[in-house]
Amino acid sequence: MAKATSPVENNGKIIELVDVCKQFDGVTIVENFNLYVRKGEFITFLGPSGCGKTTTLRMIAGFELPTSGKILLNGKDISALPPHLRPVNTVFQKYALFPHLNVFENVAFGLKQKRVETTYTDKKGNTKVKMEKLPKAIIAEKVKKALEIVDLSGFEKRSIATLSGGQQQRIAIARAIVNEPEILLLDEPLGALDLKMRKEMQLELKAMHKRLGITFIYVTHDQEEALTMSDTIVVMSDGAIQQIGTPEMIYNEPKNTFVADFIGESNIFSGVMPKDNQVRFCGKAFECLDGGFEKDEPVDVVVRPEDVIITSPEQGILKGKVTSVIFKGIHYQILVQCGRYEIEIQSTSAPKVGESVGLTVQPDGIHVMKKVFRVNKFSGVITKRNTVEFGDGEFECDVTQLYPGSHLDEEGYLITAKGEKLDLTDTEVNVEVGLHDITMSDDPDVGGAQGNIISLIYKSEYYRYIVRTENEEDYVLACEDLWNENDRVSLIVPKEKIKMTLKVAEGGKQ
Amino acid sequence: MTTAKLKPHFSRKLLAIPYALFLAIFVVVPLFIVLYYAFTDDNNVFTWDYLILFFTDGGSLAQFFSSPIFQTISLSLFISLMSTIVCLLIAYPVAYIIANCKLKNKSTLLLMFIVPMWVNFVLRINALKEFFVWIGTYNKSDAWNIINTIIGMVYDFLPFMILPIYTTIIKIDKSYLEAAKDLGATAPKAFLKVTLPLSKSGIISGISMVFLPSMTNYVVSNYLTYRNVKIFGKLIDDYFSGDLWHDGSFVALVLLLFMFLVTWLTGGFEADEQSETRGTSLW
Repeated sequence: MAKATSPVENNGKIIELVDVCKQFDGVTIVENFNLYVRKGEFITFLGPSGCGKTTTLRMIAGFELPTSGKILLNGKDISALPPHLRPVNTVFQKYALFPHLNVFENVAFGLKQKRVETTYTDKKGNTKVKMEKLPKAIIAEKVKKALEIVDLSGFEKRSIATLSGGQQQRIAIARAIVNEPEILLLDEPLGALDLKMRKEMQLELKAMHKRLGITFIYVTHDQEEALTMSDTIVVMSDGAIQQIGTPEMIYNEPKNTFVADFIGESNIFSGVMPKDNQVRFCGKAFECLDGGFEKDEPVDVVVRPEDVIITSPEQGILKGKVTSVIFKGIHYQILVQCGRYEIEIQSTSAPKVGESVGLTVQPDGIHVMKKVFRVNKFSGVITKRNTVEFGDGEFECDVTQLYPGSHLDEEGYLITAKGEKLDLTDTEVNVEVGLHDITMSDDPDVGGAQGNIISLIYKSEYYRYIVRTENEEDYVLACEDLWNENDRVSLIVPKEKIKMTLKVAEGGKQ
Repeated sequence: MTTAKLKPHFSRKLLAIPYALFLAIFVVVPLFIVLYYAFTDDNNVFTWDYLILFFTDGGSLAQFFSSPIFQTISLSLFISLMSTIVCLLIAYPVAYIIANCKLKNKSTLLLMFIVPMWVNFVLRINALKEFFVWIGTYNKSDAWNIINTIIGMVYDFLPFMILPIYTTIIKIDKSYLEAAKDLGATAPKAFLKVTLPLSKSGIISGISMVFLPSMTNYVVSNYLTYRNVKIFGKLIDDYFSGDLWHDGSFVALVLLLFMFLVTWLTGGFEADEQSETRGTSLW
């Protein structure tokens, strides 16, 4: 199994990425990537598009060079080695089969580039070593075998354009495995196939992996595909590894809400931990198996829909009304409204819509995880002066962002793109402010809100502060300078960093 | 339903009518007129005379190879061939470099090679002539006349070689090159095995855009050689301006044959396999 690791020993590790970072034009795509893969493993990089999984794969293939960090193959640094010298082969997203070559020539392409050392005796009787091409017969033999593996024997003479998507896919795989690479890289290889074909190929690829014993590194955004095929899954988001583990671990014990949300269906709640083995969410206390949190620490709680048990209203911890029942084949998808919370349930038996039910969750069905702050979220109101009030303060803001293409006239009214005149006073908005967009000052008059630092945590690159205002609004912010706990500060947020969206009637799902 | 049938039905095929008409009036009909003149005499009677005259120069078949017609044709072929080769040798690297440069505004760079086309071509050729006079190679010797003609043809037709090659190279998916490198090919190998074959269609249309016109563009040869180099186009012109319509028509047919031959040799009659490079042959 792969693990985030420090580069100490090298037992069975075929490839190792150490502190790998990749930036394009100053934008970080992959950040501090640490991972090793064992020989023969089927490992999958799973994440939404733009999470850096393909970039990581391309760095292993050699198409991109890491901005910093090292890639070790069998313990040797290959970070700067060009792709044609790496013993890895890639199956490309859109196959990239050469359109001017037929099936045989495509599959044989890699073999024809290969040079093997042969020793021979020259006329003077000296033994010499020279690099020779592979003999044609051996190439033909190997191509034939590779085509057999992908079940396309006899297709040698066919032109690429005459093949179906699935066949092209197989040829792309044959073209890669014929070179007997140490690692096979697969970049969303099944993305272009239809669902049925994809499912078939998933099983075939898995069988192929077993038969060949080559290490597979697979990239996909399809969680089901990852769960079906992999020995190990690396869940990625925003260029960083979120969790590494077996499919079972990733599914049953998601490390954070991102993983929980991305893998399978989940109910995610905000909760607190009053003590070990107890968690409060949806206004009730639940027994759980997690501990080690501070008293009353805010946490995220994940409950899988299949772990919610429907009981009679008296027996349930939560009570609610069934709002929707959808038949999904193997199970019903049921939505239950419990006060403000909407809870999704999967069950093989279905209650009736409108029925009152009780809900419980077994302790092992509750997954508690530390809250990760990404962004400060507030509810705000636009004032008469086109500023915004939120988080116990008042800030200057750009109200034109609420309506694309709008501008302000001299009197401060908003003119929309269509020319309508709007008075935004008392408009309710959602406000988002990033961790790094808030600065602190000890001059109480420069900032839009004032508060005391109640917590600071050193996060290797910066300190994370929580500033609490008089009326108990919390700002989470990052700052490189060291302040003291309980310092009274005012908070400055630049006008352009305040992201606002209009409040619409909110759905109940927390 | 009868009403549906009566409804005037607009089909996209109807859009082809103007071009079909144009094709008929200005291409097909004149071709037949040429064919008619080539095989009839002044009394409108069918004859093989002009065919025989062309191949025997008034004597035996053996005399063809020493006839002025043969000399004109072989010189013209030589000039066309050299012009095409020189054009290709210049155009391919240029197109390749522009297509692969990291600049955002590649088209501006490409424009630098096309802007000269906006200046009147006779003017340009005259300027080139003055340049040759200035450096002293103008009408210096027969060899120089041929070289100057080739330079003129290259100068005139280079953009027609660059454009189709550029369009095919820029359309080649970068993943093909990555695949080649991934499979162990070095950069030069990847170029030879992938980029070059995949830009073949551009090269071919470039060749036909340069080779065929440089057989007939006698403005270049006339201006640059003091009328001392005679090419195929000039031969036809001479016949027609000398009122020898039948001779001229037959030579025009021979030229047509050459064109078919070149088109066939370069695979121009084959249906384009790759839909992505469709349209490039229009250049």
